[in-house]
Amino acid sequence: MSVAQLAGGRVAAVVRKAATRDPLVIAAVVVVVGVAVMAVFGQALAPYDPDAIYVGPVSAPPSLAYPFGTDDLGRDILSRVLAGTAPSVIGPVIVVVASSLLGAALGITAAWFGGAVDGIASRVIELIFAIPGLVLAVLAVAMFGKGLLAPTLALAIAYVPIVARLIRAGARQELGKPYMAALHIQGVGSAAICFRHLVPALLPALFAQTTIGFGYAMLDLAAISFLGLGAQPPASDWGVMIAGGQPALIAGAPEQSMFPALFVVLTVLAVNVLGARVTTWAERGER
Amino acid sequence: MSEVVLELDRVSIATPAPAGGSGRTLVHDCTLQVHAGEALGLVGESGSGKTLSTRAVAGLLPEGFTVGGTIRIDGDDVSLLPPARLREVRARRLGMVFQTPRAHLNPFRTIGDFMTEALVSVAGERADAAARRAIDLLDEVGVPDPSRRMRQRPGDLSGGLLQRVMIAATLAMDPRILLADEITTALDVTTQEEVMAVIADLRRHRELAMLFITHDLPLAGAVCDRVVVMNQGRTVETLPAGSMRAEARDAYTIRLLSASLPAAEAGAGTVASDAVAGVLAQVAPAPILRVDGLRKVFRVPAATGFGHDEFVAVDDVGFELPQGGSLGIVGESGSGKSTTARIVCGLETADAGTVTVKGEDWTRPARGARGRRRRARIAQMVFQDPYQSLDPRQTVRECLTEAVALHRPKASRPEVTARVDELLANVALDATLADRHPRALSGGQRQRVTIARSLAADPEILVLDEAVSALDVTTQVEVLTLLDGIRRSTGVALLMISHDLNTVRRLCDEVVVMRSGGIVEHGPIADVLDRPAADYTKMLLDSIPREGWVPRRRRPARTGALPSVATSATPVPRGGTP
Amino acid sequence: MNAGVVRTLAGKLGELALTLFLASVVIFSAVLLTPGDPVAALAGGIRPTPELIEAIRAQHHLDDPVWQQYLHWVGGVLTGDLGTSFVYKTDVAALIAPRIGVTVLLVLYTAVLIAIFGIGSGVVAATRGPRADRAVLIGTSIGMAMPTFVVAILLIWVFARVLGWFPVYGAGEGFLDSLYHLTLPAISLAVLYIAFFSRITRGAVVGQLHAEHVDTARVRGIPRSQIFRRHVFLNASPQILAVSGVTVAGLFATSAIAEQAFGIGGLGSLLTEAAARKDLPVVQVISLLLVVVFVVLNAVADIAIAVIDPDSAKPRRNA
Repeated sequence: MSVAQLAGGRVAAVVRKAATRDPLVIAAVVVVVGVAVMAVFGQALAPYDPDAIYVGPVSAPPSLAYPFGTDDLGRDILSRVLAGTAPSVIGPVIVVVASSLLGAALGITAAWFGGAVDGIASRVIELIFAIPGLVLAVLAVAMFGKGLLAPTLALAIAYVPIVARLIRAGARQELGKPYMAALHIQGVGSAAICFRHLVPALLPALFAQTTIGFGYAMLDLAAISFLGLGAQPPASDWGVMIAGGQPALIAGAPEQSMFPALFVVLTVLAVNVLGARVTTWAERGER
Repeated sequence: MSEVVLELDRVSIATPAPAGGSGRTLVHDCTLQVHAGEALGLVGESGSGKTLSTRAVAGLLPEGFTVGGTIRIDGDDVSLLPPARLREVRARRLGMVFQTPRAHLNPFRTIGDFMTEALVSVAGERADAAARRAIDLLDEVGVPDPSRRMRQRPGDLSGGLLQRVMIAATLAMDPRILLADEITTALDVTTQEEVMAVIADLRRHRELAMLFITHDLPLAGAVCDRVVVMNQGRTVETLPAGSMRAEARDAYTIRLLSASLPAAEAGAGTVASDAVAGVLAQVAPAPILRVDGLRKVFRVPAATGFGHDEFVAVDDVGFELPQGGSLGIVGESGSGKSTTARIVCGLETADAGTVTVKGEDWTRPARGARGRRRRARIAQMVFQDPYQSLDPRQTVRECLTEAVALHRPKASRPEVTARVDELLANVALDATLADRHPRALSGGQRQRVTIARSLAADPEILVLDEAVSALDVTTQVEVLTLLDGIRRSTGVALLMISHDLNTVRRLCDEVVVMRSGGIVEHGPIADVLDRPAADYTKMLLDSIPREGWVPRRRRPARTGALPSVATSATPVPRGGTP
Repeated sequence: MNAGVVRTLAGKLGELALTLFLASVVIFSAVLLTPGDPVAALAGGIRPTPELIEAIRAQHHLDDPVWQQYLHWVGGVLTGDLGTSFVYKTDVAALIAPRIGVTVLLVLYTAVLIAIFGIGSGVVAATRGPRADRAVLIGTSIGMAMPTFVVAILLIWVFARVLGWFPVYGAGEGFLDSLYHLTLPAISLAVLYIAFFSRITRGAVVGQLHAEHVDTARVRGIPRSQIFRRHVFLNASPQILAVSGVTVAGLFATSAIAEQAFGIGGLGSLLTEAAARKDLPVVQVISLLLVVVFVVLNAVADIAIAVIDPDSAKPRRNA
């Protein structure tokens, strides 16, 4: 049996075990993978041109030809949801990756050096924390104009303190344990202590925070588009679509808002479920 | 014989059963009787089931645990009582005191609230009457200034005082029996004596029965009438406290007895290290470690709420450790013994004084990893908590490989592996354990790993900071024997920090007794422990439980909590090259 | 009041002042960081005439050094002179004043809903057995993925089209009518936070249920309800309070979404509109206001915690 076969068999076994024990996680994985596929191939999968108007009737309910129905300009909602996946997902990914890296670096630096460095870092953390993420994003829009780039970067900064606080507290706790003192006495280099021992200890917490952060970032960015400050119509961003569907909603055609809303909720739900479960596994492994 | 106030008859306890299966049985057979006014000791090591059995009596088992057999409180079978009645029976007839008073008192509520709560809500007394009674009870257990204490919160009181508060509160309901679960384990030995003296007084005056749960066989023997020994979920033997040694038949009991030898007889068990020391003294008179005028001051938040107070942790401490010698530093919590050890190993910086190792100045911590590595090849440290001393993500082999590779950078992989195997053999650790993570090892095995890791650098000094305190007594003896063997085969000098005079006696040639940061007495082990000069040393020795020991109240209690300078919570100082 | 509480109060006041100062510097510097001429930034989305340019330069003291500009701005804000919006061609104070009331009412309404349903369901999950726990867990999992705008459109659809019990547009007049109008907006704002508070409360309560001092109370025969009130919930409350300040302050920002969805003319919708029209003076003042709200509410929460738990006020060494 080759190594690949062995690994393949093991993966299959794990999947089988997980599927029987934890159908919720499997469902979450399916959603996350599905959304990822939509983000990459959405444009290609779309049955119609997402921006073309009057490809069908106006505000039609779902049918075989238009599975999600059409909007008030006769655009195909499925095509627009598919095309809107990438812009709706990339922003949150940038936010969590940037804020996790920055926050972890800041938190570890503060805990590692302590004293004045910790004091300054903590003050920076408090300061950013005091400005709500949405406010920072709106301020960015007022400065740089409408669009998703400025709010995305603003949120990336706004999310730093949450990660930094968590990592700082975790790192302080870890550094206080005798095994860190033992490594120090042994003469293990600082970089090795940091990257071989401290960082792995913090990864489960960081991962959990990253998944939670992804959900919040997605909601915040969609909210900014919903407010009309992010992606601009006729773009097929999910938040824009939800906002744009409001008149149709009151007129009795909920599809235009509901389908993108459903995808926002499903994506966030799936990522949250996955994050929570992986955290539990990691914690169990620790004990 | 008089009536039975508490009876456990073939009690078994099992964990919650998973769907379709059955739970794991943790206690198989616990059988014991406590008569009115009697003190029964329940002794066993961790995992023996003694605490679980007691919690079953008190109704404190975790949800879903099942109890078999019969528990009778004052003749009432608890399984037959309706829940409300059972709650009342327990509230009125049992008094329970726990190991960690600080955790077992609500930190947000005042002592007065704690003292009167049951009186008001269970016994239905009026608040003012309850308060008067509470003050009387606090006075009875020797809490000074009880009416002021009533307004304080647990955070303002020391551990020994809190334990008295716990005891006083249980007395409020006039119980028939006191369940005392390791009530002095977290206390200093002199505080332990105080608390035991209080309990002895109470039992005399109130004819209170007691189930005294402890891991400390000599203590149980000294304060109880009979002792029940528990091992792996079974009560194996019941012995009269006065003649345990003579009457013990069970192999485990005998092993436990020999492991927890009372102080006066332990000297015989010492390996003939005096000879070793003597020889070394002739060959190399120069000390390998010399500490002079050491001083360390911590700044702690002031009690008034503003600014800082200075807390002198170490004050003018000096001693020498001969090459290949073994020096014990003993003292109670707050004596500065651990801080001294941490300064020697570069984990703290002294405010004054010098540390000299092999003629080199070690007063300031080494700068940079290279400097630390160089010192690591001379001095190593073993900590109290073996689990926290190991990276939980590394296997034993990974941990040791890291240490070996660090100190032998030029060694090839097979050489490193061979050295790791050798280290495992040195600490008598089975090679099959090498691929386990720390969580899959026992406490003793974990401590062997940390010792092996410290030996990877072939050090000349091993600093042992309460290295066996967290272990069961039979395991303690194994680890101490191992350390003694290592000392004799490698000639490593030992600097042993301990609160336990027995431990120090087993391993050390010389001893330093510390109190409140300063040295009270210093000399060869036999001189200091058998013919102590300082009053404090005498008191320490007197407060060690042994056969025929009568606990006495001897000094005014330390009323305030110690300033919190938990050194283990301090991050490792650094700032070296990243 | 004991020393710990006084100490917290004093320490908090200092931190509060420093954070406010730093935040005001950051918000002020938005003008400098905006690409292009500061005059254009302050004029917002309109093309300034030469007279307007002159007016802006004079009002914002753009010919002075930067630190003097900052002092003028902060001094103005402190004395109630919030500046002028050139987009709306009116005082910023006049813009903000009539809109604050409805937003405050909406936020308070939401906070009450969160307190009742969030803390309530968390307690239920922690104390009413595994089945209730599971049910609340599922509910909160969905709730955590339900942003304000999604709840809002669901409610608008259900109530505008199907039920019609609550109005879906406008803020109403008078207190009771306002409450009536703000019900759906408050629910839409609350859902996510209810789920969040439920989780926090459950975790805190479960942690305390297993606390050792609760064992002591149980063995002493204290009645269950009393144990819960005096020893479990009381001790869990600092953890809940710790997120309360942040949450209520955050609501002032997120209320923008509910205001937008339900057509309410509050502070949030003004902020959104001003940002859309690049009206920096308005956005700056509202941002600063929200930061003040955040800092004050957080300080209040910290003091409340210090009253319950005096030890929280004691800084540890090296902390």
